[in-house]
Amino acid sequence: MGILVFFGSCSEDPEIQSYSITPEYDGPMIVWKLPDHWGENPELSGPLAGSFHVKTDSGPKGRIGVMPFREAVSSLEITNMFGMELGYQGFNQETLKQVLQVKKIEGKNFDWIRLTERVQSENPSTALLAIMRNDKDTWLFPFIADAQLINAEMESFTNFLGSIIARAGKKKIRAVMPALPPPPVPTASGNPTWETPKHWLPGKVSSMRIGSFLVQDGNGKELDFSITTFPGDVGGLLPNINRWLGQVNLPEVNPDSQSKYVSEIILDEKSAQLLIAENEEKSVYGALYFGPSQSWFFKLIGDSELARVEKENFLTLLESVCFHDH
Amino acid sequence: MIANTRKNKSPFSLGVRKKAFPWLVPLSSVRLTLVLLSLSMVLIFVATLEQVRIGIRGAQAEYFESFFGIWHYPTEFWGGSFLNFIPLPIPGGYLLGGLLILNLIAAFITRFQMTYKKMGIQIIHLGIILLLIGQMVTQAIQVESRMQINKGETSNYLERFHGVELVFTDITDASESKVVAIPEEMLEVGRTLNTPKFPLKVRVKSFGPNCNFDLKESGENRGNITAGVDRGVGVSSNLSITPIEEDFSAEGVNFSYAVFELLDQSKSLGTWTAVAHPAGNSRWELIHPKLAGLSFQPIRHDGRLWGMELRAKREYLPFSIELLGIENEFYQGTDIPHNFESHINLNLESGQKRKALVYMNTPLRHAGKTFYQYQMNKAADYSVFQVIRNPSWLVPYIACILVSVGLLWQFSFHLISFLRKQAKAAPAV
Repeated sequence: MGILVFFGSCSEDPEIQSYSITPEYDGPMIVWKLPDHWGENPELSGPLAGSFHVKTDSGPKGRIGVMPFREAVSSLEITNMFGMELGYQGFNQETLKQVLQVKKIEGKNFDWIRLTERVQSENPSTALLAIMRNDKDTWLFPFIADAQLINAEMESFTNFLGSIIARAGKKKIRAVMPALPPPPVPTASGNPTWETPKHWLPGKVSSMRIGSFLVQDGNGKELDFSITTFPGDVGGLLPNINRWLGQVNLPEVNPDSQSKYVSEIILDEKSAQLLIAENEEKSVYGALYFGPSQSWFFKLIGDSELARVEKENFLTLLESVCFHDH
Repeated sequence: MIANTRKNKSPFSLGVRKKAFPWLVPLSSVRLTLVLLSLSMVLIFVATLEQVRIGIRGAQAEYFESFFGIWHYPTEFWGGSFLNFIPLPIPGGYLLGGLLILNLIAAFITRFQMTYKKMGIQIIHLGIILLLIGQMVTQAIQVESRMQINKGETSNYLERFHGVELVFTDITDASESKVVAIPEEMLEVGRTLNTPKFPLKVRVKSFGPNCNFDLKESGENRGNITAGVDRGVGVSSNLSITPIEEDFSAEGVNFSYAVFELLDQSKSLGTWTAVAHPAGNSRWELIHPKLAGLSFQPIRHDGRLWGMELRAKREYLPFSIELLGIENEFYQGTDIPHNFESHINLNLESGQKRKALVYMNTPLRHAGKTFYQYQMNKAADYSVFQVIRNPSWLVPYIACILVSVGLLWQFSFHLISFLRKQAKAAPAV
């Protein structure tokens, strides 16, 4: 009996412990105060990235991000990354001055850049970029939404930036930006061919695009069709799908729910993914093929009504794609 | 009669003791001693066989650190196919050891004569009793840990060889971090943990000591364990977990896992997966970049940033050790280690520094802990110490001294008696 009592009393009762230690975490640290009507997107990339949306009556809209760079990154580089997506040719130091201003919020200086999609629209897609530099770190806070939402949320966005507390880390990191493709490496050879519908017009020229067309119905409705290629998988399927969904103000999906918009398609005997995402005002149809060393994106985006009309033409174009590698 | 009266009057006489403790008499039986020793031999034989199957740690836990174990006759032995299904209870180390101690103490009290002539025997047996009790105490309270230090770096914590904890670390302040650690014994499936030390509730959905893990393709099913995970690395890497048995073998590595939900009052903030790498969570980025985040999964609440991870249980020390250099030598032409030594600075609690050399069989002792040279990797420039906390470490030394004193006493007594007899028998000159 004594032995039982002895061993019973010697075992430690498990309990939750709490103590303080010298900091061991050497990454950058950032906290903020989120406006009450913003929601957090659950899938984060990297230890400090944040991703939010604005809760509206018609569902979550817009994307606000927190992206750390453990090195000095120029505003020019960041502006060009977002600008290309919105149809800009490319900025240099001179043209950057036209879109950049410096704002002071709660004692912190932000490079403030507003880019609006180069299409004729009452409510074009807009990227509002706030860049903060802290020690050698660069923090990027992009707000991507339609212009009306950004205008409505300007005060909340400013308050959010004012609440930021950031501390530089010791180890080098570069935030993953799954929504943004890197500068493309267009190749003259190795590009696919396809058959374009005859009524599609030549579209905006961009170093990213190996194919660019404009579809108009004569009543002001437009669609933009682009074929782009990038080295590697530029983040993979899900991040790119979510980027396109954000461009038509649809909420992001996760691996379990992506089948709502995504299905398999065959492009020139190769397995690819087809995206059909239709919103009230804007829709996007896309095909994504991830090759061994390169990715190919076929995207038709714009007015929903016109998109429904052109959907068959888009699918027919996809069937005509040939990579000439077999 | 006078002699009898004188004997009976002694409080230490055998008769008095037997009358005072009659219930100890059967326990002091020599037959019992023989039976216990025979059963000990059976126990050692069975545990040795089982060690092949379940590893040394499993055999220790199952047979030596218990009151009894269940053994199944091996199928490989003669008649095994018929006898294997019969569960055979085997008395465990605690039971046999405990009874041996009782047997010895009972014999000490009821059978041993307290005379100068027999005092050596008593001291020897006392030493053996102390040795047995010391071993049982050590078994119960000894804590084994490890400390790995890279050359040129300093470490102030130990990690247990076995056992994990779910840890939440508040890193918001630059000057100090607050740690809340939940031991694995509390990670029971379905349990909701609530402590004032952490602002959120933790609901345990799944926990296991070992698993296989896999990164699924985008859109692929993750399986039952992580199906409900919607935050953190479990989602970004599409991590799938398959529970497996804990590996008790000497070379076994175990990846403990936990799936847990965080709640702010009653509002769910999401469900995470955490997996502990047996060599430390900093190793995850070497396995796959998408798993690097398992060393720090962030959650922000009320303006504070917490990092979450499942890791080997840690004990932080009030002092630290800096590894200045390492040397390892092998016997020429062989892989047999000749000498492993670590040159260290011991940064004391008082702020002073003390240089020390830790090498094979020459540990460092400080603050109730003993640091043995355990492993070393000269190529990767790190050293690993095995750290033992054993408050009863002096007991075996005292026991051996007692046995030695008892033996010396007994032999000296007999020698002196013999010499006296010889002197008496010598003819007068």
